[in-house]
Amino acid sequence: MVAQLLPHAVLIAFSAAILLPLLWLLRVALTDKTTAYKIPPEWGQASIGNFVEIFTGYPFFNYFINSVTVAIGATVIALPLAAAIAYAFARYNTGGMSLRLVVLSSQMLPPVILVLPLFTLFLKAQLLNSLVGLIAAHLTISLPFLAWLLVAFFDRNIALVEEAARVDGATRLQTFLRITLPVAAPGILAAGLLSFILSWNEFLFALILSGPQTNTLPVGLSSFQTHRGVDISLLSAATICAILPVFVLLPFMRRYLIKGLSLGALK
Amino acid sequence: MAEIGLRNLTKVYGQDVTAVDSIDLDVRDGEFMVLLGPSGCGKSTTLRMIAGLEAVTSGEIMIDGDVVNDVDPAERDLAVVFQNYALYPHMSVAGNLSFGLKLRKLPRDEIDRRIAATADMLGIGDLLKRRPRQLSGGQQQRVALGRALVRDPAAFLFDEPLSNLDAKLRAAMRTELIKLHRMLGKTIVHVTHDQVEAMTMGERICIMRDGRIVQVGPPLEVYRNPADTFVAGFLASPPMNLLDARLGGETGLDEVELPPVGLPLLARHKEALQGRAGGAITLGIRPEDLDVEPSAAQHAAMTVTVVAVEALGPEVILVGALPGGQEVSARLESDFAAPAGSEVQLHVDLERLHFFDTDTGRAVTAS
Repeated sequence: MVAQLLPHAVLIAFSAAILLPLLWLLRVALTDKTTAYKIPPEWGQASIGNFVEIFTGYPFFNYFINSVTVAIGATVIALPLAAAIAYAFARYNTGGMSLRLVVLSSQMLPPVILVLPLFTLFLKAQLLNSLVGLIAAHLTISLPFLAWLLVAFFDRNIALVEEAARVDGATRLQTFLRITLPVAAPGILAAGLLSFILSWNEFLFALILSGPQTNTLPVGLSSFQTHRGVDISLLSAATICAILPVFVLLPFMRRYLIKGLSLGALK
Repeated sequence: MAEIGLRNLTKVYGQDVTAVDSIDLDVRDGEFMVLLGPSGCGKSTTLRMIAGLEAVTSGEIMIDGDVVNDVDPAERDLAVVFQNYALYPHMSVAGNLSFGLKLRKLPRDEIDRRIAATADMLGIGDLLKRRPRQLSGGQQQRVALGRALVRDPAAFLFDEPLSNLDAKLRAAMRTELIKLHRMLGKTIVHVTHDQVEAMTMGERICIMRDGRIVQVGPPLEVYRNPADTFVAGFLASPPMNLLDARLGGETGLDEVELPPVGLPLLARHKEALQGRAGGAITLGIRPEDLDVEPSAAQHAAMTVTVVAVEALGPEVILVGALPGGQEVSARLESDFAAPAGSEVQLHVDLERLHFFDTDTGRAVTAS
């Protein structure tokens, strides 16, 4: 009996630790400003007033569009480039292990070290306060990360299938486009979703390199923290709107990532 | 139609790992050539170099007299069947078959006609819409074969295509490949480590070891006259008995001594062993050349202590120990039985003795 209950108790405790903040967030988002702060918590009258207000009283919709633009832009540019880099690494061992480490080393630095030079560069190139600049900045994160992730998907199994295609009469480019990419598609899709989420959640670059017209959601969320204090109910409503797309994408990512990592087509 | 010629072909990996060491081989037009050897002997590397999947370190590969070292694999007009089949996992069986034809921009109806003919020949007509992962190993194997056949290439390269199949299916596919070769008359280079495959399928077999060719010839010829102890030991199961012996007798060349017995030497053996009187020699006896009855015209007897009797059904393998401790295997009639530890007299067919240099392992033959 205890042997059965104990694992459940532990799991329930952990689930609660993870889920409670989210549920709390939902509660706060649905209550009015005064009830939101009450301890012990009260439910008060549930309403979607906060959600209406963030879209009407604040440029929240604008933040949302900016985030979508930047995340999709960065992903669309990073994915084919990262695929090509990863392919070169996996198949031709371009630059050897040292080049791979160089690529990875950019990820080892704290992002703040990259932000200052980027700021100076963007200032000269007049890319500050522009979505294009922000997309470029996000590429410094997603490109090396995706390249590393994708190397694993262009493994020996795909190499064998590529050889079959080469003998079948395909050129290297035809092989890459018609065999490698489709076979590795689940992995590439998963990497794409991951890139989208990375960019979507990115705060530091967006805070420093964007301006009022180009703020993304994370920066927008921080603006609810004003000198008059945190408007917790509006912030909660905004946060829920911000994490919703990620919630929708996560199951897909999990599925493709598993599928991608277990391409069971070869004996 | 294609002749394949290898000239001083060498493959070195990295600085000093020589996978293929300066080999010469001519595969005739329409020939079924088997490359046979243990794993790591360089046979697959050789095949991959012929296919163009592996760069040549030095030497030449010729197809119909043209050097193709730098020709792209796509341009060599060869088809490969891989050990793991390497089917395109994202395409249907029909897509797998048509991929090479579409790249060659064949007309749609010609592609359809060829797929239908190939599928019909291999009995995979009802699988055309399936994906590779929905097929059994044997079916995948057929599709891989079909993908090679449908292109009608100049020659086929088989890289251990049967090794992933179960024993029964493998035997069936062996027969099928032999039939296919007879029907198409195309050049085939078939790589395997399975000596049964080599013996049954090859018109000639090329035995490789440590990146070098040890012997090339028709299966029975190689079986009857192995070039060295490696081939003698590799080419049958159970392999040839290789016994440490000494030449002796009055002249030092009258008999081959396996104490306490001395097997008399025939005139042609004496001729071949000229100059080795009294020296050490490795004596080779095939298990089937030993019998409990004196069946051969010229024979000698030796007594062994039974170590084990393996009944295989149609035959019995007797493992016995000579007085000196060396073990011999004998292939006997299925009704043979003897308890372990008992003594059995075995008759040796003297015509069928093989002699190998004890140091080099090379066969000693009359030059």
